[in-house]
Amino acid sequence: MKLLAFCFGLFAVVRAHDEEFREHLHLRHLDDGRVSALFSFTTLLKDTAPRSPLSIGEDDIPQHYTLFPLALGQVLREHAVTEVHLTLNAGKWDYTRWGYPEDPAVATGAELWAWMGESPSISIDERWKGLRNSLAGLFCASLGSLDEMRTTSPMYSFRPEGSLPLFNQTHKLRHALLPSEHVCTENLTPFVKLLPCKTSTGIASLLNPHRLFDADWHGMGVHVKWDPKTGISVQLNFQTVLDPVRHSSRGQRVDFSLKTLFDREIPKACPVAADSVIDVFMAEGEYNIVAPGPSIMEGELAKFIVPELPMPLDIAVRWPGEASNLFMNVLQYSNHAPASKQNSHPTNIEVLRTLTGATQSYGKLHVEVKNNLDSDVDVIYVETMPWLVQFYIHTLKLSVDGKERQDLLKHFSYKPSEAHGRPMLFEGVLTVPAKSTVRLTLDVLKSFLRYTEHQPDAQRGWDLPPAVFIPITNNNSSEGRILRRLYTPAVLVDLATPDFSMPYNVIIMSSTLIALIFGSVFNLLTRKFVALPVEGPSESEPSTGTK
Amino acid sequence: MPDTAGKSKEDEVAKQVPFQQDHIRRSILVSYWVVILLALPLWWTTTSISRLSLPEREVQAEASKQLTFSPRVLLDSSHRDEVASSLKDILRSWSLSDTFKLEFPSQKHSDEDYVVSFDRDTQSKRLDGRQLVFGTKDLASPQIDAQLTYLLSELIAGNFARRVDSTTVVQYSPRYRLSFSLLNEDASSQGYAAGWDVENALAKYLKPVLNRLSILHNFTIESQVQFHAPLAFAPEQVPGFDDVYGLTPEQLTVFVNSAEWTLSSGVTVDPVLHFVLFIPSASRRPLRILNFDGTISDSTAFVLPQWGSIYIYNPPTESSVFQLSADELRPAFSVFRSQLLKLLGVPSLPTGVSASYTGPGTTHVSDWQLDALLRKRAYENAHGSTEALTSIVNLVDQIEGMPVSRDVRDDVGESLHSLNKMFAVASESPRLALQYSSKALELASRAFFNPDMLALLYFPPEHKVAVYTPLLAPVGVVLVVAVLREVSALRRTKNNTSS
Repeated sequence: MKLLAFCFGLFAVVRAHDEEFREHLHLRHLDDGRVSALFSFTTLLKDTAPRSPLSIGEDDIPQHYTLFPLALGQVLREHAVTEVHLTLNAGKWDYTRWGYPEDPAVATGAELWAWMGESPSISIDERWKGLRNSLAGLFCASLGSLDEMRTTSPMYSFRPEGSLPLFNQTHKLRHALLPSEHVCTENLTPFVKLLPCKTSTGIASLLNPHRLFDADWHGMGVHVKWDPKTGISVQLNFQTVLDPVRHSSRGQRVDFSLKTLFDREIPKACPVAADSVIDVFMAEGEYNIVAPGPSIMEGELAKFIVPELPMPLDIAVRWPGEASNLFMNVLQYSNHAPASKQNSHPTNIEVLRTLTGATQSYGKLHVEVKNNLDSDVDVIYVETMPWLVQFYIHTLKLSVDGKERQDLLKHFSYKPSEAHGRPMLFEGVLTVPAKSTVRLTLDVLKSFLRYTEHQPDAQRGWDLPPAVFIPITNNNSSEGRILRRLYTPAVLVDLATPDFSMPYNVIIMSSTLIALIFGSVFNLLTRKFVALPVEGPSESEPSTGTK
Repeated sequence: MPDTAGKSKEDEVAKQVPFQQDHIRRSILVSYWVVILLALPLWWTTTSISRLSLPEREVQAEASKQLTFSPRVLLDSSHRDEVASSLKDILRSWSLSDTFKLEFPSQKHSDEDYVVSFDRDTQSKRLDGRQLVFGTKDLASPQIDAQLTYLLSELIAGNFARRVDSTTVVQYSPRYRLSFSLLNEDASSQGYAAGWDVENALAKYLKPVLNRLSILHNFTIESQVQFHAPLAFAPEQVPGFDDVYGLTPEQLTVFVNSAEWTLSSGVTVDPVLHFVLFIPSASRRPLRILNFDGTISDSTAFVLPQWGSIYIYNPPTESSVFQLSADELRPAFSVFRSQLLKLLGVPSLPTGVSASYTGPGTTHVSDWQLDALLRKRAYENAHGSTEALTSIVNLVDQIEGMPVSRDVRDDVGESLHSLNKMFAVASESPRLALQYSSKALELASRAFFNPDMLALLYFPPEHKVAVYTPLLAPVGVVLVVAVLREVSALRRTKNNTSS
């Protein structure tokens, strides 16, 4: 109990840390007429370092927060997490039509990765378990299923986006993917509660669950990182791809406004936000941006400073020369798109990954990586796979245009899976030659599961986590340390599934057989044979009989 | 029966075949039964659940023990006998005569002894450490006796006698989380608190008390500010007062809007005490608490039993965005302090008694109060742990299929051990008694909530029998019928030979 006095002594000295809250909405018009919206809420805890893992087990210093979410802060302190990224997404991000997303974490389902320093008292795996359970409770998501059967520690990929403080301890990475977990309203409600203005004022008031979860793609993300110059930052993101044609009030047009997209307007600015900006990014074309106030134009980007505009705020984008017919205008739009747009590809690299094979024991994994650039590109290829599917690495074949090119895969590391245990991790650097497609094939073995290991919805099959491709760029200093990542869609695998009433049938069947065998053997052993003399032709009794 | 002679001859022939002989057949049958009977213990040991025996008798013995405190009071010999006998009467009327065995020695033994001294020059009654300075000015001897008896009974056993407090006081826990929240009902309207100097306010107003209570509890402290904390109802204007909004006693019970306010934390299982500084929206100021008759109450705060305390702060109307300094927080934190003491069960001083806090770190809670609280908590914990232990024993007795693992047995044993130690030291030191009782309670609850004890409740033996009936029934019937047949054959041959 002396610790208490110590704690008090400490916080009498420590000054209240400076906190800052920024909110940002980035709207981008996509080539197929859809609108990508990224809500980003950043809270900065200035001049604060993450908790040292060496102090785990001791009493923590009192936590005093103004804008920083207390519930999240407690989780981070409790497990001494330096950096954590949690994303919950639904749908498939279409790189070929929508390009790279603003927030690169677009894996289908749940993705959680964290950097933690080692502590002598509690192991990282124990804290990782505690962290995912705490986050599961905080965001009402089944992150508890991201257990040892899904957790890997990649070596090349998922490098920290912030900095790692020196605690005289090494930092370790834990990463897990759960494609079957989906995001819904019950995750958004606790997400919104972490914001200082909730949904009542500011940009967050546009977070209308009816529209967000109706979108073609939607996902939320929590990114916590540390920078020694600024402090700990928590970024709460909500990213969505909306179809304005569906929600258009005036005859199915690609025109959009905040009101038509989200069915809400901004009633008031958030009083505690240091920065509240709406960006609208438009491709070339004949459009008007209609807004109640002035905007700052920076090239193709229109910037609106929310507190300086009259309330309630609505921003609209219209194409005056557009026909009102839905099919006509989608066609027209894609036809009228500038020629340069049509030929170029939104991403440098395109990836296709499929699992083939009709049997329930063997299959084949096909991966195609296409390079759209005129120069060779190196990509880090990360494949994590639960032990449900096992790879035969010796069957790995790489080919370009039908010619075998095994030399394209370098520096690869492979950690095999353990049956009923840890997943497989496959990492390597793949060189994709200019303007060509690399085909990779690999034989896989589908595991046979124990009766109790099947999930409740067993006949549906298992969602396998997406593969991740990270293009290596040389000039990564200019864009910060957030590397672009490409996630392939999740793959569904059909494993041998038993009839679940089978054990009882087997018990009853074998019991009956044993009873029959037992009966006849027993009968033979204890039967009394009696010889009956046959005395005349009239006697027609059988010669033997039981007594 | 025709031709019996011929038949017996045939029998003779049949019996020459070795397996047709009666004794062979019978030994086959017997060996079947022997195998079954020998297999029974094996089956029993492999399918039975581990049920270690619990120390039932010791639990019962411990439960029947009476926790007795014997505080020693040093008293002037002229009042000693009179006060001692009337104190005994009061304790008996409170039915506490088994719990308290007061002693009145003439010599001071230890620092734990209470001392009553008289002061002829004053009327006031003052506590100083474990000393009660009793002002006897203008008082006759019988009056002194009566007042002294009343004061001593209140100071020593008052919190045992009044059960009303028990609804407010939180259950004992070695660690509490104190959560301080500054809630703005609506920051988008004009005038809201952008922050508060909670660290200095805590250091100034609460730190001394928390240090004082640190022998009972550890405290973890956290604070947050919220800018949109709407109420679940709309307070209405008080009739007769323009621009004054009121909270009726019924509305106070639903004041906490747990759906919108994120107050609770999910990282620990320690009980949380909430202290909320609520700033009403600018359109509903001032917000006042109403009495049952609808008049405006003077109080600005209320306590929610076993949950925490809420203080309603109406900022001066002209202010827009403001920071609350430690000095401005003084009234709120004084209320929080007194309500924290109330929630933790610190007894209040009897009327007419003041305490002077001369010792280091003795502010707000006198030694008398602290001792009374220690005794009360030790008593409650002892009661709680014996209750938990007897429940475990009863439950295990009642439910045949409940496994008792080594963990449970060890926890029960250690809890009993701690209880024993507590009973040994209770009369000497309430402080040690509390430590042991808290350990006993922790172990007893851990044993009671041990997840292993639920294991086999969901897989009863009837279930197994039902599943294996297709095997057991046909085999059993054959074996039993064979035995019956042999027995009847034996009896028949016996009858034949005797007749």
